[in-house]
Amino acid sequence: MDWFMGIDIGSGTSKGVIIKDGKPVAYHLLPSKANYRAAAQKLSEELLAKVGLSPQDITYTIATGYGAASVPFSNQQVADIRCCAKGISSLFPSVRTVIDVQEMSSQVIRLDEEGQVTNFVVSEKCAAGSGRFLKIIANVLRIDLNDIGPLSLKSKNPITFTTGCAVFGESEAISRVSEGMSKEDILAGVHKALANKISTLIDRVGLEEQCAISGGGGLNVGLIKSVEEKLGVQLLVPLQPQLVTALGAAIMAQERERLVASL
Amino acid sequence: MTKVVILDRDEEIQARVVGPTGAEHRRLANKVMEEALEQANLSFAEISYVIATGYGRINVSFADRQITELTCHARGVVSLFPTVRIAIDIGGQDAKGLKISNGKLIDFVMNDRCAAGTGRFLEVIAATLGLKLEELGEISLKSTNKVKISSTCTIFAQQEVISRISEGTPLEDIVAGVHDAIASRVVKMVRRLKIEPDVVFTGGVAKNVGVVYAIKENLGCEVLVPEEPLLSGAIGAAILGKELTLKALAKGETIQRKERRLEEVTFFS
Repeated sequence: MDWFMGIDIGSGTSKGVIIKDGKPVAYHLLPSKANYRAAAQKLSEELLAKVGLSPQDITYTIATGYGAASVPFSNQQVADIRCCAKGISSLFPSVRTVIDVQEMSSQVIRLDEEGQVTNFVVSEKCAAGSGRFLKIIANVLRIDLNDIGPLSLKSKNPITFTTGCAVFGESEAISRVSEGMSKEDILAGVHKALANKISTLIDRVGLEEQCAISGGGGLNVGLIKSVEEKLGVQLLVPLQPQLVTALGAAIMAQERERLVASL
Repeated sequence: MTKVVILDRDEEIQARVVGPTGAEHRRLANKVMEEALEQANLSFAEISYVIATGYGRINVSFADRQITELTCHARGVVSLFPTVRIAIDIGGQDAKGLKISNGKLIDFVMNDRCAAGTGRFLEVIAATLGLKLEELGEISLKSTNKVKISSTCTIFAQQEVISRISEGTPLEDIVAGVHDAIASRVVKMVRRLKIEPDVVFTGGVAKNVGVVYAIKENLGCEVLVPEEPLLSGAIGAAILGKELTLKALAKGETIQRKERRLEEVTFFS
């Protein structure tokens, strides 16, 4: 008893966390592919296997993320904004601003001293404002997504993208390659471009320190550096930024149970 | 695309050539010019005046003068359809709306910042569907139940299209939905100019009958499309060239011409 599960089905990656007594005891990540339902099922099996539990042992499960509706075994669905806020404030109670960079969107969430969401803004209309832009450029340059951050740090002369569109940006990257620009400089340029988009989101909700980054974008040292330079603040980066929202979902599952028990 | 039009004194078209622009603007401009001269059976020295326009106009090294595409388009469209009040032009990487009064350009709107609402959007979707760009129009006309594409972004729309395919949605309904997406986006932009008939639709995308249909539907009025919608900018440039030449001659001036050479210049020179 007293095991709680958080499942975050993202458009790119599905993440799951099991907690006991408020502490994470198991986590797992896998690609969502096109089938969110299958991803959720597999995720749950892997998580349970890691702690030697069966599905009935889980007291309460909260599903969140793009594919939250495709988690048939969840007890409840909660918006990823709230789960992300909960997760980050459990890791860094001092955080007042979270930048969450996902595959298909970026969002900035503002929190108060209690970790409650006071404001947020989501950029989901345009691929150039999300992690997808980085993927597209990595693909053009034939570099593994995990390597683009470290590589970009070697740049001495980042290019400036003249377009704010991922499709036109892809053509621009190809042109720069054919002109002989280095991959480092192109990558540093794309990180700067995304950091600029994030900065316009920050402008809409304000920036208060401490500031943290979460989501897959938090794995990219190049993006972190660009955002830090653009905003002039240091970012707190969780060890596993992709798991923040799933962790938050698991914590909310446990809190709900405590609340029910106290009634 | 790079287009060349050679006009004679009576504004009769003596040559028309369309070729893909590719990465090396300068090389291609020379090549299509040579082709056009051959078609018209002229030598380069016989051409009185050359005007370059469009996105890569600065790369036409043999031109006597560069003029913006807005001016050239407006001139070209007015010569094709003197009654035009609104011209919509959707090209490979931008979309424009021109407001014309008494044959003069008085206002315009433009999107060249986002691939959605440009020909590029259709290129991406055609590639996703494994279709040729030229096939989209005919296919979409068979649709009886077009899908709604909810994403504005080309990349996200592409993903949406893939989902619809995997759900088994008929191809024609997807393509019709894509045409409606591009048309509604462009029409929304052009409405800022206050639509008045006649409306003319030009640019490469106007060759797609499905988009023409969707533009009509979104505007709620008829749309005129020239026989060769790609050429209106080049025709306008040629007419402006003729007018400049005649004006100079009427004043008894010699035409100011650059020292022109038609030779291949590479991008990296």
